[in-house]
Amino acid sequence: MSGLSRRPVPDGGATVEVYLAAIGGRLPGPGWAHASILAELRSGLLDATDAHRAAGLPSAEAAAAAIDEFGDPVQVADAFRGEIAARQARAVAISLLAAGPLIGLLWFTAARTSHVGVRLGPPWQWQHLSVAARAAVHLFVVPIGVTAWAALFAIASTGRLSRWLPVGPRGVPTAAAVAALASASGDALGLALIAIQLATAGGQLAPLPVAAAATASLTRLVLARRAAHRCLAVRASLA
Amino acid sequence: MRAETLKGHLDGILLAVLEPGPSHGYAIMEALRARSGGQVDLPTGTVYPALHRLERAGLVRASWSESGGRRRRVYELTPAGRRALEGERSTWRDFSAAVTALLQPLPPPAASPS
Repeated sequence: MSGLSRRPVPDGGATVEVYLAAIGGRLPGPGWAHASILAELRSGLLDATDAHRAAGLPSAEAAAAAIDEFGDPVQVADAFRGEIAARQARAVAISLLAAGPLIGLLWFTAARTSHVGVRLGPPWQWQHLSVAARAAVHLFVVPIGVTAWAALFAIASTGRLSRWLPVGPRGVPTAAAVAALASASGDALGLALIAIQLATAGGQLAPLPVAAAATASLTRLVLARRAAHRCLAVRASLA
Repeated sequence: MRAETLKGHLDGILLAVLEPGPSHGYAIMEALRARSGGQVDLPTGTVYPALHRLERAGLVRASWSESGGRRRRVYELTPAGRRALEGERSTWRDFSAAVTALLQPLPPPAASPS
Protein backbone atom coordinates (compact mmCIF):
# COMPACT_ATOMS: atom_id res chain seq x y z
CA MET A 1 0.00 0.00 0.00
CA SER A 2 1.42 3.38 -0.90
CA GLY A 3 2.42 5.76 1.84
CA LEU A 4 -0.06 8.42 0.87
CA SER A 5 -3.06 6.36 1.98
CA ARG A 6 -1.69 5.67 5.43
CA ARG A 7 -1.26 9.32 6.31
CA PRO A 8 -4.47 10.62 7.85
CA VAL A 9 -4.96 14.31 7.13
CA PRO A 10 -7.55 16.55 8.79
CA ASP A 11 -9.73 16.57 5.67
CA GLY A 12 -10.61 13.00 4.68
CA GLY A 13 -12.10 14.22 1.37
CA ALA A 14 -8.76 15.69 0.33
CA THR A 15 -7.02 12.35 1.03
CA VAL A 16 -9.56 10.63 -1.20
CA GLU A 17 -8.93 13.16 -3.98
CA VAL A 18 -5.15 12.68 -3.75
CA TYR A 19 -5.69 8.91 -3.99
CA LEU A 20 -8.02 9.29 -7.00
CA ALA A 21 -5.52 11.61 -8.70
CA ALA A 22 -2.84 8.95 -8.23
CA ILE A 23 -5.08 6.39 -9.96
CA GLY A 24 -6.17 8.82 -12.71
CA GLY A 25 -2.54 9.70 -13.43
CA ARG A 26 -1.75 6.06 -14.21
CA LEU A 27 -4.77 5.33 -16.41
CA PRO A 28 -4.05 5.26 -20.14
CA GLY A 29 -5.84 7.55 -22.59
CA PRO A 30 -7.20 11.08 -22.25
CA GLY A 31 -8.33 12.39 -18.85
CA TRP A 32 -11.96 12.97 -19.91
CA ALA A 33 -12.31 9.24 -20.62
CA HIS A 34 -11.60 8.44 -16.94
CA ALA A 35 -14.26 10.73 -15.46
CA SER A 36 -16.86 7.98 -15.07
CA ILE A 37 -14.35 5.51 -13.57
CA LEU A 38 -13.08 8.06 -11.04
CA ALA A 39 -16.64 9.18 -10.16
CA GLU A 40 -17.58 5.59 -9.40
CA LEU A 41 -14.45 5.00 -7.31
CA ARG A 42 -15.07 8.29 -5.46
CA SER A 43 -18.60 7.26 -4.55
CA GLY A 44 -17.34 3.85 -3.34
CA LEU A 45 -14.59 5.47 -1.28
CA LEU A 46 -17.08 7.83 0.34
CA ASP A 47 -19.33 4.83 1.15
CA ALA A 48 -16.34 3.05 2.69
CA THR A 49 -15.39 6.19 4.65
CA ASP A 50 -18.96 6.39 5.97
CA ALA A 51 -18.79 2.73 7.02
CA HIS A 52 -15.53 3.27 8.95
CA ARG A 53 -16.87 6.47 10.52
CA ALA A 54 -20.00 4.58 11.61
CA ALA A 55 -17.67 2.00 13.20
CA GLY A 56 -16.18 4.77 15.34
CA LEU A 57 -13.18 6.17 13.45
CA PRO A 58 -12.70 9.94 13.18
CA SER A 59 -13.12 11.37 9.65
CA ALA A 60 -9.46 11.50 8.63
CA GLU A 61 -8.71 7.97 9.88
CA ALA A 62 -11.93 6.70 8.29
CA ALA A 63 -10.82 8.07 4.89
CA ALA A 64 -7.35 6.55 5.30
CA ALA A 65 -8.90 3.18 6.22
CA ALA A 66 -11.22 3.35 3.18
CA ILE A 67 -8.22 4.01 0.92
CA ASP A 68 -6.34 1.11 2.50
CA GLU A 69 -9.34 -1.10 1.75
CA PHE A 70 -9.43 -0.01 -1.91
CA GLY A 71 -5.81 -0.97 -2.44
CA ASP A 72 -2.62 0.43 -3.87
CA PRO A 73 -3.47 3.06 -6.55
CA VAL A 74 -0.95 1.41 -8.89
CA GLN A 75 -2.70 -1.95 -8.52
CA VAL A 76 -6.16 -0.41 -8.99
CA ALA A 77 -5.08 1.58 -12.09
CA ASP A 78 -3.43 -1.51 -13.57
CA ALA A 79 -6.63 -3.50 -13.03
CA PHE A 80 -8.50 -0.90 -15.11
CA ARG A 81 -5.99 -0.83 -18.00
CA GLY A 82 -7.36 -3.92 -19.75
CA GLU A 83 -10.89 -2.57 -19.48
CA ILE A 84 -9.92 0.83 -20.89
CA ALA A 85 -8.02 -0.87 -23.74
CA ALA A 86 -11.06 -3.01 -24.56
CA ARG A 87 -13.46 -0.05 -24.51
CA GLN A 88 -11.15 2.06 -26.64
CA ALA A 89 -10.61 -0.75 -29.16
CA ARG A 90 -14.35 -1.37 -29.39
CA ALA A 91 -15.11 2.31 -30.00
CA VAL A 92 -12.44 2.51 -32.73
CA ALA A 93 -13.74 -0.66 -34.43
CA ILE A 94 -17.38 0.51 -34.35
CA SER A 95 -16.40 3.95 -35.75
CA LEU A 96 -14.47 2.32 -38.60
CA LEU A 97 -17.33 0.01 -39.51
CA ALA A 98 -19.84 2.88 -39.36
CA ALA A 99 -17.66 5.22 -41.45
CA GLY A 100 -16.94 2.61 -44.14
CA PRO A 101 -20.30 2.59 -45.93
CA LEU A 102 -20.69 6.39 -45.59
CA ILE A 103 -17.34 7.17 -47.20
CA GLY A 104 -17.90 4.38 -49.72
CA LEU A 105 -21.16 6.08 -50.70
CA LEU A 106 -19.35 9.42 -51.15
CA TRP A 107 -16.82 7.78 -53.48
CA PHE A 108 -19.57 5.98 -55.37
CA THR A 109 -21.38 9.30 -55.87
CA ALA A 110 -18.11 10.91 -56.98
CA ALA A 111 -17.58 8.11 -59.52
CA ARG A 112 -21.17 8.24 -60.79
CA THR A 113 -21.06 11.99 -61.32
CA SER A 114 -17.64 11.95 -62.97
CA HIS A 115 -17.11 10.97 -66.59
CA VAL A 116 -15.05 7.86 -66.07
CA GLY A 117 -17.42 5.38 -67.66
CA VAL A 118 -18.84 4.15 -64.36
CA ARG A 119 -22.03 2.83 -65.94
CA LEU A 120 -20.15 0.31 -68.06
CA GLY A 121 -19.09 -2.02 -65.27
CA PRO A 122 -16.83 -2.38 -62.25
CA PRO A 123 -14.11 0.26 -61.60
CA TRP A 124 -11.30 -1.60 -63.35
CA GLN A 125 -13.36 -1.58 -66.57
CA TRP A 126 -14.13 2.14 -66.52
CA GLN A 127 -13.05 3.48 -69.87
CA HIS A 128 -11.53 6.77 -68.88
CA LEU A 129 -9.54 5.71 -65.83
CA SER A 130 -5.80 6.05 -66.27
CA VAL A 131 -3.97 2.74 -66.70
CA ALA A 132 -2.24 3.06 -63.29
CA ALA A 133 -5.54 3.82 -61.53
CA ARG A 134 -7.25 0.91 -63.28
CA ALA A 135 -4.55 -1.48 -62.07
CA ALA A 136 -4.35 -0.05 -58.55
CA VAL A 137 -8.12 -0.20 -57.97
CA HIS A 138 -7.80 -3.97 -57.47
CA LEU A 139 -5.72 -3.33 -54.37
CA PHE A 140 -8.72 -1.89 -52.51
CA VAL A 141 -9.87 -5.41 -51.67
CA VAL A 142 -6.94 -5.77 -49.25
CA PRO A 143 -7.51 -2.74 -46.93
CA ILE A 144 -11.30 -3.13 -47.05
CA GLY A 145 -11.08 -6.84 -46.20
CA VAL A 146 -8.51 -6.40 -43.43
CA THR A 147 -10.38 -3.44 -41.88
CA ALA A 148 -13.69 -5.32 -41.85
CA TRP A 149 -12.20 -8.54 -40.47
CA ALA A 150 -10.09 -6.91 -37.74
CA ALA A 151 -12.87 -4.51 -36.69
CA LEU A 152 -15.46 -7.30 -36.49
CA PHE A 153 -13.03 -9.38 -34.45
CA ALA A 154 -12.40 -6.46 -32.04
CA ILE A 155 -16.15 -5.87 -31.63
CA ALA A 156 -16.95 -9.56 -31.11
CA SER A 157 -14.17 -10.08 -28.57
CA THR A 158 -15.19 -7.08 -26.46
CA GLY A 159 -18.96 -7.61 -26.38
CA ARG A 160 -21.42 -10.36 -25.62
CA LEU A 161 -19.39 -12.90 -27.55
CA SER A 162 -16.33 -12.26 -25.36
CA ARG A 163 -17.15 -15.27 -23.16
CA TRP A 164 -16.79 -17.57 -26.15
CA LEU A 165 -13.92 -15.66 -27.75
CA PRO A 166 -11.22 -15.55 -25.10
CA VAL A 167 -8.60 -13.09 -26.36
CA GLY A 168 -5.59 -11.92 -24.36
CA PRO A 169 -5.69 -8.30 -23.12
CA ARG A 170 -3.25 -7.18 -25.82
CA GLY A 171 -5.10 -8.95 -28.64
CA VAL A 172 -8.05 -6.55 -28.70
CA PRO A 173 -6.10 -3.25 -29.07
CA THR A 174 -3.90 -5.01 -31.63
CA ALA A 175 -6.95 -5.95 -33.73
CA ALA A 176 -8.32 -2.38 -33.51
CA ALA A 177 -4.94 -0.91 -34.47
CA VAL A 178 -4.70 -3.28 -37.46
CA ALA A 179 -8.22 -2.25 -38.56
CA ALA A 180 -7.37 1.46 -38.21
CA LEU A 181 -4.06 1.15 -40.09
CA ALA A 182 -5.70 -0.88 -42.87
CA SER A 183 -8.44 1.74 -43.16
CA ALA A 184 -5.84 4.53 -43.30
CA SER A 185 -3.98 2.60 -46.02
CA GLY A 186 -7.20 2.28 -48.03
CA ASP A 187 -7.77 6.03 -47.79
CA ALA A 188 -4.17 6.76 -48.75
CA LEU A 189 -4.58 4.49 -51.78
CA GLY A 190 -7.85 6.20 -52.77
CA LEU A 191 -6.33 9.65 -52.47
CA ALA A 192 -3.28 8.55 -54.49
CA LEU A 193 -5.57 7.21 -57.25
CA ILE A 194 -7.49 10.47 -57.36
CA ALA A 195 -4.20 12.40 -57.56
CA ILE A 196 -3.13 10.21 -60.51
CA GLN A 197 -6.50 10.69 -62.20
CA LEU A 198 -6.31 14.45 -61.65
CA ALA A 199 -2.85 14.54 -63.17
CA THR A 200 -3.74 12.43 -66.22
CA ALA A 201 -7.41 13.17 -66.92
CA GLY A 202 -8.58 15.63 -64.30
CA GLY A 203 -11.25 17.18 -66.52
CA GLN A 204 -13.32 14.01 -66.34
CA LEU A 205 -13.81 14.29 -62.56
CA ALA A 206 -16.83 16.02 -61.02
CA PRO A 207 -15.15 18.60 -58.73
CA LEU A 208 -17.58 18.87 -55.82
CA PRO A 209 -18.41 15.17 -55.24
CA VAL A 210 -14.74 14.25 -55.64
CA ALA A 211 -13.68 17.02 -53.23
CA ALA A 212 -16.28 15.85 -50.68
CA ALA A 213 -15.16 12.20 -50.91
CA ALA A 214 -11.46 13.14 -50.79
CA THR A 215 -12.01 15.39 -47.74
CA ALA A 216 -13.90 12.61 -45.95
CA SER A 217 -11.16 10.10 -46.78
CA LEU A 218 -8.42 12.47 -45.66
CA THR A 219 -10.25 13.13 -42.37
CA ARG A 220 -10.69 9.41 -41.76
CA LEU A 221 -7.05 8.77 -42.64
CA VAL A 222 -5.86 11.27 -40.01
CA LEU A 223 -8.31 10.06 -37.34
CA ALA A 224 -7.65 6.37 -38.02
CA ARG A 225 -3.88 6.92 -37.80
CA ARG A 226 -4.31 8.67 -34.44
CA ALA A 227 -6.64 5.92 -33.21
CA ALA A 228 -4.12 3.25 -34.24
CA HIS A 229 -1.37 5.01 -32.29
CA ARG A 230 -3.62 5.32 -29.23
CA CYS A 231 -4.49 1.60 -29.38
CA LEU A 232 -0.84 0.66 -29.75
CA ALA A 233 0.11 2.91 -26.82
CA VAL A 234 -2.53 1.25 -24.59
CA ARG A 235 -1.38 -2.16 -25.82
CA ALA A 236 2.20 -1.34 -24.84
CA SER A 237 1.05 -0.32 -21.35
CA LEU A 238 -0.57 -3.74 -20.73
CA ALA A 239 1.48 -6.35 -18.94
CA MET B 1 -7.97 -15.30 0.15
CA ARG B 2 -5.75 -13.71 -2.49
CA ALA B 3 -6.86 -12.55 -5.93
CA GLU B 4 -4.68 -15.21 -7.61
CA THR B 5 -6.55 -17.96 -5.73
CA LEU B 6 -9.85 -16.64 -7.05
CA LYS B 7 -8.61 -16.27 -10.61
CA GLY B 8 -11.18 -17.74 -12.98
CA HIS B 9 -13.94 -17.71 -10.37
CA LEU B 10 -14.36 -14.00 -9.65
CA ASP B 11 -16.96 -13.50 -12.40
CA GLY B 12 -19.16 -16.29 -11.02
CA ILE B 13 -18.74 -14.98 -7.45
CA LEU B 14 -19.77 -11.45 -8.46
CA LEU B 15 -22.78 -12.78 -10.37
CA ALA B 16 -23.80 -14.79 -7.28
CA VAL B 17 -23.50 -11.70 -5.05
CA LEU B 18 -25.76 -9.80 -7.45
CA GLU B 19 -28.34 -12.59 -7.67
CA PRO B 20 -30.57 -11.32 -4.80
CA GLY B 21 -30.91 -7.87 -6.39
CA PRO B 22 -29.25 -4.72 -7.72
CA SER B 23 -26.30 -3.37 -5.75
CA HIS B 24 -23.50 -0.81 -6.04
CA GLY B 25 -19.74 -1.42 -5.99
CA TYR B 26 -19.01 -0.97 -2.29
CA ALA B 27 -22.11 -2.91 -1.21
CA ILE B 28 -21.07 -5.75 -3.54
CA MET B 29 -17.66 -5.87 -1.87
CA GLU B 30 -19.22 -5.85 1.61
CA ALA B 31 -21.57 -8.69 0.60
CA LEU B 32 -18.62 -10.60 -0.81
CA ARG B 33 -16.76 -10.30 2.50
CA ALA B 34 -19.83 -11.15 4.57
CA ARG B 35 -20.90 -14.18 2.47
CA SER B 36 -17.37 -15.61 2.49
CA GLY B 37 -17.05 -15.14 6.26
CA GLY B 38 -14.23 -12.66 5.62
CA GLN B 39 -12.22 -15.19 3.57
CA VAL B 40 -12.53 -13.19 0.36
CA ASP B 41 -11.05 -9.77 0.95
CA LEU B 42 -9.79 -8.37 -2.34
CA PRO B 43 -8.63 -4.77 -2.72
CA THR B 44 -12.03 -3.13 -3.29
CA GLY B 45 -10.69 -0.97 -6.12
CA THR B 46 -9.90 -4.04 -8.23
CA VAL B 47 -13.48 -5.32 -8.11
CA TYR B 48 -14.77 -2.38 -10.21
CA PRO B 49 -12.88 -3.36 -13.40
CA ALA B 50 -14.30 -6.89 -13.03
CA LEU B 51 -17.82 -5.42 -12.82
CA HIS B 52 -17.14 -3.33 -15.94
CA ARG B 53 -15.99 -6.47 -17.77
CA LEU B 54 -19.21 -8.27 -16.82
CA GLU B 55 -21.18 -5.28 -18.08
CA ARG B 56 -19.34 -5.35 -21.41
CA ALA B 57 -20.09 -9.07 -21.71
CA GLY B 58 -23.81 -8.34 -21.22
CA LEU B 59 -24.01 -10.31 -17.94
CA VAL B 60 -24.86 -7.29 -15.78
CA ARG B 61 -26.32 -3.91 -16.60
CA ALA B 62 -25.27 -0.75 -14.80
CA SER B 63 -26.96 2.60 -14.28
CA TRP B 64 -26.27 5.65 -12.17
CA SER B 65 -28.77 6.34 -9.41
CA GLU B 66 -28.86 8.86 -6.59
CA SER B 67 -29.74 8.14 -2.99
CA GLY B 68 -28.88 10.00 0.20
CA GLY B 69 -27.33 12.81 -1.89
CA ARG B 70 -24.72 10.45 -3.41
CA ARG B 71 -24.60 9.16 -6.99
CA ARG B 72 -23.79 5.48 -7.24
CA ARG B 73 -23.39 3.11 -10.16
CA VAL B 74 -25.81 0.27 -9.51
CA TYR B 75 -25.34 -3.16 -11.09
CA GLU B 76 -27.97 -5.82 -11.71
CA LEU B 77 -27.99 -9.22 -13.38
CA THR B 78 -29.31 -9.51 -16.92
CA PRO B 79 -31.13 -12.68 -18.07
CA ALA B 80 -27.83 -13.73 -19.74
CA GLY B 81 -26.10 -13.12 -16.38
CA ARG B 82 -28.56 -15.43 -14.61
CA ARG B 83 -27.94 -18.15 -17.19
CA ALA B 84 -24.18 -17.65 -16.88
CA LEU B 85 -24.45 -17.96 -13.09
CA GLU B 86 -26.24 -21.30 -13.44
CA GLY B 87 -23.45 -22.44 -15.76
CA GLU B 88 -20.77 -21.29 -13.29
CA ARG B 89 -22.51 -23.17 -10.46
CA SER B 90 -22.72 -26.36 -12.43
CA THR B 91 -19.07 -26.11 -13.55
CA TRP B 92 -17.96 -25.41 -9.97
CA ARG B 93 -19.92 -28.40 -8.58
CA ASP B 94 -18.26 -30.76 -11.08
CA PHE B 95 -14.82 -29.20 -10.51
CA SER B 96 -15.00 -29.24 -6.71
CA ALA B 97 -16.33 -32.83 -6.64
CA ALA B 98 -13.43 -33.96 -8.84
CA VAL B 99 -10.77 -32.08 -6.84
CA THR B 100 -12.22 -33.25 -3.51
CA ALA B 101 -12.07 -36.83 -4.72
CA LEU B 102 -8.49 -36.35 -5.92
CA LEU B 103 -7.29 -34.72 -2.71
CA GLN B 104 -8.88 -37.39 -0.52
CA PRO B 105 -6.13 -39.48 1.15
CA LEU B 106 -6.16 -43.00 -0.15
CA PRO B 107 -6.87 -45.75 2.41
CA PRO B 108 -3.66 -47.50 3.48
CA PRO B 109 -3.00 -50.61 1.42
CA ALA B 110 -4.19 -53.80 3.07
CA ALA B 111 -1.33 -55.74 4.69
CA SER B 112 -0.43 -58.70 2.50
CA PRO B 113 -0.37 -62.09 4.30
CA SER B 114 3.24 -63.25 4.69
